Amino acid sequence: MHRSAAIPATALALILAGCGSKAEAPVEQIVVRQPGQPAASAPTAAAPAAGDLVAAGKAAFAVCAACHSVEPGGASGIGPNLHGVVGRAVGTLAGFTYSKAMSGSGITWSEAELQAFLANPSAKVPGTAMAAGQVADAQRRAAIIAYLASLKH
Amino acid sequence: MAKFTINGEAASVDVDPAMPILWVVRERLGLTGTKFGCGAALCGACTVHLDGQPVRSCSTPIAEAEGKAITTIEGVAGPEGELSKVQQAWISEQVPQCGYCQSGQIMAATALLRDNPKPSDADIDAAMAGNICRCGTYVRIRRAIKVAAGLEPAKGAQGVAGGQA
Amino acid sequence: MNDMTKPPRSRAAKWTRRGFIGAGVLTGGALVIGVGMRPGNPVAKLGPVVAGGKGEQLINSWLKIDADNVVTAIVPHCEMGQGAHSALAQMLADELEADWSLVRVMQAPADGNYLVPDTIRAFVAPGTLDAPDWLEPTWNGLFTRIARLADGMITGGSSSVRSTGQHTMRIAGAAARQMLIGAAAQEWGVPAAEITAANSMLSHKASGRSAPFAKFAAAAAEQDMPQTPVLKQPKDYRLMGTDAPRLDIPAKVNGTASFGIDAKVPGETMSYAAVRRVPVPGTRVAKMDASQAKGMPGVLQILNMGDFIAVVADSYWQAQQALNAITAEYTKAESPVRSGADQFARFAAVLDKAGESGGKAVVTRGDAKAALAGAAKRISAEYQAPYLAHAPLEPMNATVRVKDGRCEIWTSTQVPLMARSAAAKALGLSADDVTVHHPLLGGGFGRRLEVDYVVMAARIGQATGFPVKMIWSREEDLQKGLFRCADLSRIAGGLDAQGRLVAYSSVFTQRHDPADACDCAFYDIPNKSIRHAESDLHLPFAAFRSVDHSQQAFFIESFIDEAAHAAARDPLEFRLAMLGQSPRHKAVLEKAAAMAGWGKPLAAGHGRGLALVESFGTIVAEVVEVDMTKGKPRLTNVWCAADPGFAMNPDGFRNQMEGGIVFGLTAALYGEISLKDGAVEQSNFHDYQMVRMDECPAIAVEIINGDHQKLGGAGEPGLPPIAPALANAVFAATGKRIRALPLAKQFV
Repeated sequence: MHRSAAIPATALALILAGCGSKAEAPVEQIVVRQPGQPAASAPTAAAPAAGDLVAAGKAAFAVCAACHSVEPGGASGIGPNLHGVVGRAVGTLAGFTYSKAMSGSGITWSEAELQAFLANPSAKVPGTAMAAGQVADAQRRAAIIAYLASLKH
Repeated sequence: MAKFTINGEAASVDVDPAMPILWVVRERLGLTGTKFGCGAALCGACTVHLDGQPVRSCSTPIAEAEGKAITTIEGVAGPEGELSKVQQAWISEQVPQCGYCQSGQIMAATALLRDNPKPSDADIDAAMAGNICRCGTYVRIRRAIKVAAGLEPAKGAQGVAGGQA
Repeated sequence: MNDMTKPPRSRAAKWTRRGFIGAGVLTGGALVIGVGMRPGNPVAKLGPVVAGGKGEQLINSWLKIDADNVVTAIVPHCEMGQGAHSALAQMLADELEADWSLVRVMQAPADGNYLVPDTIRAFVAPGTLDAPDWLEPTWNGLFTRIARLADGMITGGSSSVRSTGQHTMRIAGAAARQMLIGAAAQEWGVPAAEITAANSMLSHKASGRSAPFAKFAAAAAEQDMPQTPVLKQPKDYRLMGTDAPRLDIPAKVNGTASFGIDAKVPGETMSYAAVRRVPVPGTRVAKMDASQAKGMPGVLQILNMGDFIAVVADSYWQAQQALNAITAEYTKAESPVRSGADQFARFAAVLDKAGESGGKAVVTRGDAKAALAGAAKRISAEYQAPYLAHAPLEPMNATVRVKDGRCEIWTSTQVPLMARSAAAKALGLSADDVTVHHPLLGGGFGRRLEVDYVVMAARIGQATGFPVKMIWSREEDLQKGLFRCADLSRIAGGLDAQGRLVAYSSVFTQRHDPADACDCAFYDIPNKSIRHAESDLHLPFAAFRSVDHSQQAFFIESFIDEAAHAAARDPLEFRLAMLGQSPRHKAVLEKAAAMAGWGKPLAAGHGRGLALVESFGTIVAEVVEVDMTKGKPRLTNVWCAADPGFAMNPDGFRNQMEGGIVFGLTAALYGEISLKDGAVEQSNFHDYQMVRMDECPAIAVEIINGDHQKLGGAGEPGLPPIAPALANAVFAATGKRIRALPLAKQFV
């Protein structure tokens, strides 16, 4: 007889196997501390040195990478590929469908334009699909732009 | 120590400044109306307002909120719980199914209508395309936005009584 | 259309027994129906469990009334967006004559008193629902026993309204109304027949007396349970068949709705677990390096559980960060499948072996082989559907507290009692020592019929000994979960000289549910051979919204379209000609076609396609208009006509059709879980794409109430027709026939 969706496989197996089997213990259990106990001084990441701005930007870009690829010729995802974006006119990347607001904005991405856009995307380009892409922290913003600017052929 | 306001009240929490707003709000402040869906700013379930701008709280560190105002779904209604126009339209058009994405949808729609009180279909597409509804209530979301904007008459009853016991 | 004045096909007595047996007992073949406050009856036992609020009085297992005259329906099914909580309360409230503004709904606890034997019965043996009265106690007893053994508290199969709603909630409401009236008759000293119930009030016209239900709640619970509560005829429906506003919606617009992921363990500091399962099914963690992770902020414990790794921390985010820093090696996979191509090659080998008559016969009618051989024109095609992930927006999660030999669980699940048994087994406890709380589900779609994630959380909680909330990342959900299976189908058809489809032969590799999903019985095709040649799957299976229909409808309705074109007939006319024996199907198809303006001229580059499917008792036809002028499919409109027998809440039903269409559209356009080195390639919503607002077509839905005695479901039937309707529309626009999903991939 076929198996009914109403009686999932795991449950059937369970019924057939009966109950009361032995609990499976962890193979390895590392106990660091108990809940509520204060942590031993946790290491904190040092602020990046000025010279590491591109490196810091690369790290900060991790959030953006969910939508934007950066490798040369990489496929666009939710957002367009950003390799060589600094100096590029908006709406010009082949194969990506821009919002009407973006393609009609007439912007060519300079570092200053990116500054303004990332600080408040909806204010700079009302109706942009990247309304949620704000990078409010000026340091992070500068780092991300420095990183983007480094992505050239 | 991060200092900000949450739904109008001052708050300060001692957390890693890199911790996303989402987890601060849910775990530290106990406001669970804001949802975790993807962790990568792809689905919009975690949308909150930061100084009025919609942001994906799963990917926005709490450091970004320093000195700013965070508004979550719990802060959309008035002080006596009176529903906003958007929330009322969500009820009159019977929008939600499972409801999990709807906090984010309402936050996105609220920001859209504040900036653009009479949005076109294309405006709605652009503003709402970042919010996934896995149950597929887009047709009703679109209609509810128009109802809230006064562009279409409400279909169902307003201020429906009843609720989850 | 049926005569709407006839009462529903119920011998009310039968319904009574069936309705209450879930909470009653079967002793020595005789039914003992729970009555009043007699010792040992469910009301006495359940009262403290489900009616603890102020002035609350349980009338029977399924409803209580409080001092403010608020009626609360206690619903045994879960709410995952399909509207079952509200629809079932609506059915109960109508029979009770309650004022909808004074009705609330409560999730029945995960408890053996709230089994749903009729849901199981409707699935396993639907024919028995029409059993003669004298056989009813036997069937009833059997399915109650099965429900007990199988932890039968289940939500699935688009069945809540037509099983529990029809066979339990309506009877509970009608019985409670009679008990309230009986209590008032005693108090007022008037005949019960002279008392009327309306809007949560009882009144006696002659004496001018009236009182709210609440006044008689306690006395009603002392009344004998009516043996034959009288159910309404459709002409008397007051709430049933209306757009009563859903009760769960207000809490879903202000952030107060509580889902599994929002659970808090009372009085405890919460800890959070992030998990990483092995990348390829069946493998194990061979080596774990957590040297970096254990020094990271917030980390409490790191666990190698053999089949997964978990990090427990003060915050979920910290747990996930630390998990990302753990490296691991895994044992070698046994499955030889490394890629999607490997999987489909295995399917093809099985189908090659089955040939034109091999495999297990599912449907045999006439002589398909001979009819094919003698056909004037013969066509054949091969279709394929990929693996899919359910991806409910609430990721898999469960919160557990394992302490002093007991386990308490909070989780979103479609099967709370199965979750309880599975957790008990994994922890070496008895089911009685495990309690499951199941709040709202942030989507189910079949994924939450499985309890793998609950067991994982329980094992973590047992290892730590302190309360833990385990949450899967989206990446875990898409890569390591359970999947809608891939499948391959080969179909051949024969047309006679008049262009009629006289032979139909199909063979495919996957068959799960429903049993008849591979058939299209409503089309009058004289010779049929439908066969199942089973092939193994690399990724583990879980029922997906509409289950087998999600693939079979695409195979069948694409092929019927191909047959129509081969016969040089209009696809609508071709189908209508085969529907002589199926008037309801014909009416639905004609309605959808009329809504769409079928046959009217279209803009250049546009195409229309249609499909007709019956699933879960509901007949649905959908017409798609697609715009191909930009070289890839963009849907402008979907027109949907549906006959669910009778729509209890038409607006809720429409919402489900809309949702099913969008869910199915995501699958049809983009849905694909592919493999690389045996592991899933996709990881999040950027590469497992969803239809979003900007791609959502306009959707119009019309309902035909074709037979109020034969209800169909709502949650799933909207989905199956959309993929073939879209593929047929693309063909109409471009002449390109798409036989492999997902569709958008063919137009890059």
